[in-house]
Order: sequence, then C-alpha cells, then structure tokens
Amino acid sequence: MRKKVLLVDDSSTVLMMEKMILAKGPYDVIVARDGVEGIAKAKSEKPDVILLDVMMPNLDGLSACAQIRACEATAHIPIIMVTTRGEEENIETAFRNGANDYVTKPINGLELLTKLSNILGLAAA
Amino acid sequence: MKQKEPQRPFIEKITNDNREYVQSLLDENHRLNTQLASLKDRLTAIEEESRDFSARYVEVEQQNTNLANLYVASYQLHGTLDRERVLTAIKEIIINLIGSEELAIWEIDHEYGAMLLVDSFGIDQGRWASVPLDARGAMSLVALSGERVVDSDGVIACIPLKLDDRVVGVIGIFSLLQQKSGLEPIDFELFDLLGSHGASALWCTRQEMGVVQ
Repeated sequence: MRKKVLLVDDSSTVLMMEKMILAKGPYDVIVARDGVEGIAKAKSEKPDVILLDVMMPNLDGLSACAQIRACEATAHIPIIMVTTRGEEENIETAFRNGANDYVTKPINGLELLTKLSNILGLAAA
Repeated sequence: MKQKEPQRPFIEKITNDNREYVQSLLDENHRLNTQLASLKDRLTAIEEESRDFSARYVEVEQQNTNLANLYVASYQLHGTLDRERVLTAIKEIIINLIGSEELAIWEIDHEYGAMLLVDSFGIDQGRWASVPLDARGAMSLVALSGERVVDSDGVIACIPLKLDDRVVGVIGIFSLLQQKSGLEPIDFELFDLLGSHGASALWCTRQEMGVVQ
C-alpha cells in the first residue's frame, strides 16, 4: 500500500534529492516550502509521515513540529526532522517538540528509507 | 539335555540379529553425522553469501545515493540562467550534499588582480570580500594554478571554477558539519562537478545578462 509523504524544505536541492530517494519506495510525495505551508498541507493532505527541515523561512521546522503536534487533526502524524545540525542539543530539542526521529544532512538514502519504513511500520501497528 | 540343544542356534540368531541391528544403527548414525556436517557447511556458506548480499545491497544503495547527488547537483546548476539562482544552487549543493555551512564563492577580476566575493554562507564577508591574486594562501594558489587544494591553510577544500583550462573563480569550503567526519569519495566528484558545471553555469548567467542588457 502506498504511503503519502509530506516533504517540507525551502531548498529545491534537498527536495529533489528526497524525491529521488523516495521514488524507490511505495511513496507518493507532496511538497511544502516553509513551516507555514507545511502545517497547512499537513492539515489538508493528511500525510502518513512528514519529513521536516529545521532551518526554514517564515516558520522554522521545530516550531512547525510543535504546532503539528498541538493540532488534534495532525497530532498523530509521525515526523522525521531533517537537520544540518547533528549536535545532541538540537536533536533533543527536536524530540521535545514532538519529532519521532531525525536524519542529518547530507542525507543518506538507505538511512532515510530505513527510518521511513520503520516509522510507518510502527505507526501501522 | 536333548531338549535344551535347539536353544543355542536361536540365541546365536538373536545375537547376530542384534549385532546387525546395532551395526545398521551405527551406519545410519554415521550417515546422519556426515549429512549434518554437510548441512552445517552449507548453512555457513549461505550465511556468508547472505552477508555478502547485504554488504553489496548497502554498497549499491550508497552508489544510488551518490548518483542521485550528482544528478541533482548538475540539474540544479543548469536549471536556470538566473545568476542568483545559480549561486543559490552552488551554495545548496555545498550545504546539503557536501555538508558545510561555511563557504565562499569568488570570481576572478583580472582588472583588479583579485578574487571578488560574489556569495557566501556562514563566514565573515568583510574579511573575504577581496583576495588579491598575489596573496599567500590556498585561494590564490588555486586561482593561479587551477589545481584543487584539500585540507590546507585552514580550509577544507578550495576548488577552482574552470572554463576549459581558464580559472574564472574559486570556491572555498572552510568547515564540515559536525556529524561529518571527513571528505568522502562522492565529495571529490561533487568538487569536480562544481568546478566545471558551476563555472559554465555562472558564465551562462553572464551571457544571459549581456543579452538582456
């Protein structure tokens, strides 16, 4: 069964890279360019999982993550943070804000696909 | 006495039968042990094969990611004739695909005998705004020689932007993201791609600006 993945990133390079990686799996992709659009699409599209960049204009990923968690309609959607900052402190902040997992840039395709399938498996269970 | 004599052949027969039966069990046991050893060998071979396949799968997936990196980088560089977007593409490739948040892009201005900063991320722009071509350091060396410099003079990499053999600019990468322990083979391929495709993409934007003007 195909899963709907919402990619939220302001970088067209990252979005294209993520789309190419996800094309190898059973995923339908939708895209948002910043945190505000990400929250809106999370509500309207009801994706199975969200890949959320941290540094974005208008609304950063950490705030967007917290808002998605706070909304009843989107609170259950698993979120994987995509971050350039691999420091422990940043990862902890992401988890505190409701992220389920994270990947660091540069994105490793196998790592991303593994984490996605794990999270979707857990979510389906 | 006469009545007991027939029992001896019977006992001998039983003894013989038992001996044959035990021997057949021993033979069967030997055959099964041989079979078990063979199966253990086969299992070991299959486990080895499985490990090889897993390692190859990871390797192939890594190659796929690397190819995707190169494709995305090339596509982003040549997807526009807008100068700002090409510069953004170069920055995004370095930040997101190579993994650095301290970088500079210079173009060579022979009239001033210097490299002029055209874009950067995470560095002191004032300090690096202009680098004389005759200055000492990795940037000038790369600008003059056209040869890439790696891990020298405080920079992670210094990449010449070249049109044919002519150096038209230099990219400096000053650090790597914390989670990245060092440069990988794919990074050097991206350096080569940036050096040639980045230069031609920037040159094309200048041509486009000239045509528009």
